[in-house]
Amino acid sequence: MSSRRNRARQSGSSRITDEQINDLVSKLQSVLPEAGIRRNDRASAAKVLQETCNYIRSLHREVDDLSERLSKLLEESSSDQAAIIRSLLM
Amino acid sequence: MAVSDAVGEAAVGGGGERKRKRGSKPVPAKWRTEGEQRIYSSKLIDALRRVRRSSASAPSSPSSPPSDHVRNREVREAADRVLAVSARGRTRWSRAILSRRTLRRRVRLRACRPKPGSAACVSRAAAERRKSPAVEKKTRVLGRLVPGCRKLPLPSLLEEVWDYIPALEMQVRAMNAIAEAFSTAGGAPSSPTHVDSMWIEEETM
Repeated sequence: MSSRRNRARQSGSSRITDEQINDLVSKLQSVLPEAGIRRNDRASAAKVLQETCNYIRSLHREVDDLSERLSKLLEESSSDQAAIIRSLLM
Repeated sequence: MAVSDAVGEAAVGGGGERKRKRGSKPVPAKWRTEGEQRIYSSKLIDALRRVRRSSASAPSSPSSPPSDHVRNREVREAADRVLAVSARGRTRWSRAILSRRTLRRRVRLRACRPKPGSAACVSRAAAERRKSPAVEKKTRVLGRLVPGCRKLPLPSLLEEVWDYIPALEMQVRAMNAIAEAFSTAGGAPSSPTHVDSMWIEEETM
């Protein structure tokens, strides 16, 4: 990780080439859900970044919705329930 | 060439069209393990109980409406914080979340956050030169979405995202599981789960 940066710095103009970026971007594609981009295409960096942004936003939204749901359930539950669930999950 | 070495290292990991998941560097595997999720879930439940206790004991002020939003906010923050703790401080986004809490209470110190970013500045200036404006713009947007990564150059940013997304996915899975457990425990027994059977015994329906 850091070796990559060091190497880049040592080469003088610290060129982070397009090729490097494309590699990182294709690596990123593997984390995204398959529906976003067809992996056969050489998706452009901008498109992958866009998909990533969308995906992160949707994950944030899901977490927010779940927080809301949990907060409601929390209010209605008793602390015994929480203890039971915790021991079950362990 | 020095550059091609670095590229080669990245290519082996994710570029080959063979088994992507089994490459030399798969997606951060720890976020996908059951053990990690279980640890996260139990820590989260503990945090939730604390939230519940603190909100129950806090005197309800007549001016504010039922503080649903406040509680949602607290739940969300607790979930994020526990997630950041699970990252064990190895990533920038997790450190940013953990330091976020104290900053929120005081002033929003966006500008003067002391970050070890001096090294990144050098490569950042050079890196920006090489990219198209579209990519740059998306990079900025992405940097805003990931906590603590606003000013990162693209390669470092992608490294952070590479860890952040699986972590978020685990967070969603865990919170879903907890919510399901709570709702099946609290509501009418619909499906025969462990939680259900325990609850039925206690309730003597």
